[in-house]
Amino acid sequence: MGKLKTEEFVVNMGPVHPATHGVCRLMLTMDGEKVVKIEPVIGYLHRAIEKVCENRTYPQCIPMMDRFEYVTSMSTNQVFSQACERLAEIEVPERAEYLRVIMLELNRIASHLIFYGTTAMDMGALTPFLYGLRERELIIDLFEMTCGQRLTYNYIRIGGVSKDIPKEFIPKCREALDIIEGKLVDYEGLLNENPIWLIRTKGIGHLPAELATSFGVSGPVLRASGVDYDIRRDDPYSIYDRFDWKVAVCQNGDCYDRYLLRLEEIRQSISIVRQALDGLPEGNIKAKVSPKFKPPVGEVYSRIENSRGEMGVYIQSDGTTKPLRVKCRGGSYNQLQALPYFGTGGLVADLVAIFATLDVILPEVDR
Amino acid sequence: MSDNLGNLELIHVFYWLKELLLSTGLGEPYVTIVSYVVLGAVTFGVLALLALFLVWWERKIAAHIQQRFGPMRTGWHGWYQTIMDAVKLLQKEDVRVDKRDKFVFFWAPVVCFVAAFLAYVVMPFGNQLIVADLSIGILYVLAVTTFTVISLLMAGWGSNNKYALLGGMRSAAQVVSYEVPMVAAILTVIVYVGSLSMVDIVEAQSGLFINWFIFKLPFGPIAFIVYIIAATAEANRVPFDIPEAEQELVAGFNIEYSGMKFAMFFLAEFVNMFTVSAIAVTLFFGGWNGVFLPSWVWFLGKTFLVVLLLMMFRWTYPRLRVDQLMEFAWKFLVPLAFANLILGSIMKYLGWYW
Amino acid sequence: MGVFKNLKELIKGMGITGKHLGRHAITIQYPEEKWTMPEGSRGVVVLLSDKKTGELNCTGCGLCEKACPTGAIDLDAPRGEDKKRVLKKFVVDNALCCFCGLCEESCNFCAIKMDTRYEMSVLDKKELIWDMGKLQEMGKDVDYVDTRKKKKPKVAKKPVVKPTEDAKPEAAAVNPGDAKPAAEAAPDKEPEAPKSPDKPAEGDDKKTESGGEN
Repeated sequence: MGKLKTEEFVVNMGPVHPATHGVCRLMLTMDGEKVVKIEPVIGYLHRAIEKVCENRTYPQCIPMMDRFEYVTSMSTNQVFSQACERLAEIEVPERAEYLRVIMLELNRIASHLIFYGTTAMDMGALTPFLYGLRERELIIDLFEMTCGQRLTYNYIRIGGVSKDIPKEFIPKCREALDIIEGKLVDYEGLLNENPIWLIRTKGIGHLPAELATSFGVSGPVLRASGVDYDIRRDDPYSIYDRFDWKVAVCQNGDCYDRYLLRLEEIRQSISIVRQALDGLPEGNIKAKVSPKFKPPVGEVYSRIENSRGEMGVYIQSDGTTKPLRVKCRGGSYNQLQALPYFGTGGLVADLVAIFATLDVILPEVDR
Repeated sequence: MSDNLGNLELIHVFYWLKELLLSTGLGEPYVTIVSYVVLGAVTFGVLALLALFLVWWERKIAAHIQQRFGPMRTGWHGWYQTIMDAVKLLQKEDVRVDKRDKFVFFWAPVVCFVAAFLAYVVMPFGNQLIVADLSIGILYVLAVTTFTVISLLMAGWGSNNKYALLGGMRSAAQVVSYEVPMVAAILTVIVYVGSLSMVDIVEAQSGLFINWFIFKLPFGPIAFIVYIIAATAEANRVPFDIPEAEQELVAGFNIEYSGMKFAMFFLAEFVNMFTVSAIAVTLFFGGWNGVFLPSWVWFLGKTFLVVLLLMMFRWTYPRLRVDQLMEFAWKFLVPLAFANLILGSIMKYLGWYW
Repeated sequence: MGVFKNLKELIKGMGITGKHLGRHAITIQYPEEKWTMPEGSRGVVVLLSDKKTGELNCTGCGLCEKACPTGAIDLDAPRGEDKKRVLKKFVVDNALCCFCGLCEESCNFCAIKMDTRYEMSVLDKKELIWDMGKLQEMGKDVDYVDTRKKKKPKVAKKPVVKPTEDAKPEAAAVNPGDAKPAAEAAPDKEPEAPKSPDKPAEGDDKKTESGGEN
């Protein structure tokens, strides 16, 4: 009896597919269930945000930036404002810096909660998704209380923040943090030691540190591969150097580590927010910035550590009220580019797990 | 309460109907046919209602686990939501793929639907509440529930869709694999009863709950666990729902089905879930046996508890990968089930049981 | 033993979901029940009217039009014979609006505000384009803290507007340091950037370009 003849075939996973978190298209060459080759096709969510920003004044760019990465809009606000501040050498008031850190870290928690939910959902467990979003709602309520919106905040502005926090924010924030910290036990109980979860994630999608660094992968995915690199610590921006926290690092670089690492980051972020709430000074929330904000001629690149890796904005200014060129960098893009090099060889289910734990969101890839 | 009349209740109804029709002067063959049709329609109606109820129930269970409300608009806590859904699906356009295999595509949901309902011929809903007490009862159930896999393969092939084909292939592999431990677990019970008839199985467990096979058998709980795992796989439910794995194959075998054809697959899935639960109750939890309440209430109550267990599985666990699923079946469940069967048989032979 | 540990973990997971089974739902039945939106939640754009006279506060300076990043505001206020602007047209296309709140912050006359209402779904897209009448009507009963300068009653029919004693901080007029209401504290502090450092008291055309050009 001869060997059974098999044939490779191409399957389009996406652009409309439950597991691609938006509109990513992965062209899979498959041998039966086995994935032989992955070709990511991007651009389905391209909105030309960089180009649109060239036709907007600097303050008007910030609402556009909200749409650049809408899961953690605060960080997009921060990275753009920070770039403008560096360009024009604006000193941000102390209180504004604290508020920024509080909001950024809360937003990181919210983003990781979404990650927890969607990843579990991609593996077939539907309930964690609702649990994750349930706690995220607490954070979103805090944001809405502060800046009036639940998703596109437009809160962090050039020179400070747009509004001061209301009176009831601090007690409510502490309460929310306590709740989230308590619920983390539930999350871990549901998945951490669950044998099905373990065999689905442990040893799956191993991303070697060399490959990760060569593709510019950053953020939790990089740290899960054992590279101890966090922009918050290694290139401090805002006032992150004043807080006492640890950079979570895992060694294996598989799906399970990427998952564990993000849960640990939630804990670290909770700690940072608590410290920031304790140290919140009184004072002005915004430096004096003219609405006709005109930075001097020059260029700047500012970067921050987003929940998906390094997020950067490059601005070239020609001295007018509008930027000459804006370039955005999102962590998801690099992670998606690295996917074909370490995602193959497994089954479709593995690819789904890998894609989920990369926590790619497509607006950041396509911009 | 165990008044064994030799004839079973539904059969009585059948004869009564036959007499009634004969008195109107119809010919014998016609009367037989009409009586069977009426009986079948009644059973079918009850089961369809049961399936609709189960869909609603699952949605409510899921919602409450996730701290939501679930359906609330249609009636008290949305009790007729699924009926409205079915009406909606009936009205929908039947979208058909152009390059489908016409014959196979059309008949797949029908086969699935019919196969799901066939098992109820021998299902003992209550004391004497059974359509036909076949002497090969449980074997018959195993035989007809396996038809489902043919329908899933048909759907996968006929759709001319890669996802659907993958789903069909997965389901074939899965159902065939899990049939083995399932049969082994059932055989453990059969060895003790000495009969394949569903009524005999239930009556062997009459009396107090201590007589239920899950307690009575030497390794009853193990047999039950093996059975319930295999049954979950048989009913294509999480953590073994790889044929339709939503996040991998979008919807698997039923990706190209819409309207009432989809509804047929969907209802069949829930009927299958009820079937495996009902068999679990019959085999391990004493079937209709119980005190005070009518026998069918006991049967339905126990079955719904097992269904609840399956639903809890679904809303708690992640999904297994396809190769892990096979590994689990062949490397763990099959040896366990056979060890259990052999041990149980030896103990039966030696008489070490009560 | 591995099997028992796994079984234990599986049962633990079931326990967590089962624990939630009896809990009360955290969601609400939307059209019947609604969230109370927090103060300063950014919903639909409305035009505010003077509390005494009932006329629009808008002077037609056009700052909001220039601040809007999406061009959702279409405003036309040509100068009349006495060099004063007369507001002819104020149209907000809610289909374009991105709810960033920049218009509200750019306004120096308490004329435009993002209300907490958010339900504006319509069957026809054209109905999302709200004209001046609709905007005024929507903003009729919207509470706000009047931060306009009270002197110089020259422009309009609003002589000295008494500050409201409403103690709630309005989103538009929240003061930086303290979240206290205090209408009297409002006029001199300007937290928002587009509210230019030199605050125009009236609708003078000299100041109108400060929102940035489009």
